[in-house]
Amino acid sequence: MFGCSTNNPAVRRYLWRFAWAMFFYVVCLIGSILAFVHLHPTGVVAYGLAVLPALPMIGMTVVVGLYLSEEKDEFQRNMTIQALLGGIGGTLSVVSVWGFLESFVHIRHLDLIQVYPMFWMFVFFSVVVVRLRYR
Amino acid sequence: MKNRLRVLRAERNWSQADLADRLEVSRQSVNAIETGKFDPSLPLAFKLARLFETTIEGIFSEES
Repeated sequence: MFGCSTNNPAVRRYLWRFAWAMFFYVVCLIGSILAFVHLHPTGVVAYGLAVLPALPMIGMTVVVGLYLSEEKDEFQRNMTIQALLGGIGGTLSVVSVWGFLESFVHIRHLDLIQVYPMFWMFVFFSVVVVRLRYR
Repeated sequence: MKNRLRVLRAERNWSQADLADRLEVSRQSVNAIETGKFDPSLPLAFKLARLFETTIEGIFSEES
């Protein structure tokens, strides 16, 4: 997935699905913002609209899982898993440290909504490291 | 693990890309296996052995 050829059908399917998930994320996010600004929803509708942008994000995780199950090239699969582990490890490290800093020295609160982009940022850095390792 | 992939490939005049096509993997995969940075699974090792008409031990050996 990360840095391999787009001739690979599993990568092509991954990119296509991920692009759709991103598209739905933008649509859901804008829709939710507009609804909250103009319609001031309450109750169950408000909960539903608040959760809506998270659904395509969950979809992105499913898309990555589908890629891992469809990728036939075990080396590419291995590199992707290493990059994802780097992303998970980096994110968990930062939020753990941040959590203790918030508790003990009252630094700025980290919104949970920032965790997912942080994960992908760590995945990106991990891809660079993994690719350098196998260069 | 050590391996004789580079030698076996050279004997057949195959590039890494040629071998990758035959194995249905990426060229980076062949390079990683050849340089000993990645050990293939048993199914891929068997595929390599079949392709080079030898045994797995004929391609791979333990690092001394």
